[in-house]
Amino acid sequence: MNSDYARAAESHREVDETAPDSKQITLKDPRAVLSMLEVDQVVAAKRRTHFGRQRLSLRTRVLLWCLRVYVVLMLVIVAISVVRALHPGR
Amino acid sequence: MDDSKAHLTESIGETAHPTTQSAVASPAAPELANLLTHEDVDRARDRWEVARARSKGGRFKKIANVRLLWLLVGPGVLVFLGENDAPSMLSYSADGSRFGIGFFIPFVVLTFVMGFIVQEMTVRLGAVTHRGHAELIFDRFGKFWGFFSMGDLVLGNFLTLITEFIGVRAGLGFFGVRPSIAVGGALLIVVAAITTGRYWTWERITLSLAIFNGLFIPAAILARPDWHAVGHAMVTWMPLPHGNRYEILVMILATIGATVTPWMLFFQQSAVVDKGMQPRDINAGRFDTALGALLAAVFAIAAILATTPLFHHGINAADFQGAQFAEALEPLIGHLGAALFALGIFEAGIVAAIAISTSSAYAFGEVLQTGHSLNRPLREAWPFYLTLLGSASAAAALVLLPRFPLEFVVLTVNVIAVLAMPPALAFLLLLVNDPEVMGEHVNGFWANVAGVTVTILLICAGLGFGLATVFPKWLGG
Repeated sequence: MNSDYARAAESHREVDETAPDSKQITLKDPRAVLSMLEVDQVVAAKRRTHFGRQRLSLRTRVLLWCLRVYVVLMLVIVAISVVRALHPGR
Repeated sequence: MDDSKAHLTESIGETAHPTTQSAVASPAAPELANLLTHEDVDRARDRWEVARARSKGGRFKKIANVRLLWLLVGPGVLVFLGENDAPSMLSYSADGSRFGIGFFIPFVVLTFVMGFIVQEMTVRLGAVTHRGHAELIFDRFGKFWGFFSMGDLVLGNFLTLITEFIGVRAGLGFFGVRPSIAVGGALLIVVAAITTGRYWTWERITLSLAIFNGLFIPAAILARPDWHAVGHAMVTWMPLPHGNRYEILVMILATIGATVTPWMLFFQQSAVVDKGMQPRDINAGRFDTALGALLAAVFAIAAILATTPLFHHGINAADFQGAQFAEALEPLIGHLGAALFALGIFEAGIVAAIAISTSSAYAFGEVLQTGHSLNRPLREAWPFYLTLLGSASAAAALVLLPRFPLEFVVLTVNVIAVLAMPPALAFLLLLVNDPEVMGEHVNGFWANVAGVTVTILLICAGLGFGLATVFPKWLGG
């Protein structure tokens, strides 16, 4: 990572010398734009790339399903409690 | 890294893992220049300012460090002050008016510690992946789980948005402003904030509005709280709340829901991405998040203290809304204190309406793979802005309907937020423990212990609420 930081810092210094004002960073100077962003920050790169699907273990799937059931049950319980709160007689 | 990413990476002269590299321009860079957007340019300008502040040395180093923090602070403060929204401030006020100074003061601090633990993870996720939370869930877990997650978010966000406009209406109602004017004016502020077409400007406008959450501090001072009792409560958590145990449980749940909610995860991660934060900014992001949690905790405690005179005078605030709190407080803390309280509720509603509608818009944009940045002009990202304004407008319109069950929404919104949180936290923990996504920034042991503890606490709180609702006699209800 240190070398990455050094390289990033180097690129920033390069721009510091060539572009004394951030207003000069425009589409006309893509080098300046690119030097400020990581590869994955460029919109075009993000559009073209995706993290692949993670293989979920059986344990993870069971956990996610349990949590899903939990939410649905709890929403039903919220509905019960609200009905009770709005109609105390019931 | 898949083929297309490798191709793109090669085109700008890089070969290593994209999440750790700066896109240093190479002779091949102009190839990519045709693909650059307005969003890239604005983000590069923001990064240029950050790089300039970082590169300063010598006797200007300290000033540059302050400037660096000023540039990088934003999403964390916004998310926590945004979550100090109208229903949250009303929850804190209900705590203060019903139980006075005691258990709820340290409990609120605990909830913000929980909030910091989970929000810090979103900072790392956003800074490392440059992707929003919804996008990552869809990418890594597929559409099936993605749509479930979005369902929770959309329901929670929309109900919460309605309560924000209820807060706006109630807050300005204290000053005699008509509901249609109050709600319409709030909607205009939401529109004004996004017309800048620049994330940085939007963030600064919203931050400058959010800082008025501090109006609860002078309101608390005017209530002349017993500082000795505050100190005692902070240390001992005493006195414990007493009375109907079911109602106490609901209030505990609502207080947690006032601090830890799913929209915060989605919002902060997307805002970190839109701000252009990078892995080297993670520490600044942590500072930003801690600062937000601290400010929000102080303002929340101020709301509790401001309403404790109601407790001391035995005034039943069980069904109070914003304006009613202010009206009840007026003879006890004076017109100025009550007016500050009402303005605080109004401010809380406005800032949260901006943040929550933006959170929905980010998530929709990420899922639909359309432009989803406040750095984009309207013509380039109209579905994003349409979602933002559409959700805010629909919520505002519902608040003005004569027979809309406002009470129903206010009663449920914070509780639903807590109940929807465990699945959201499960996805968050899976993502921050995924080395393919996080690289070297994967969660450490203690971060996992803290994250899992928060999740278990929320599940237990939810189960307790469920059991007490189904078996009311269990708690003597």
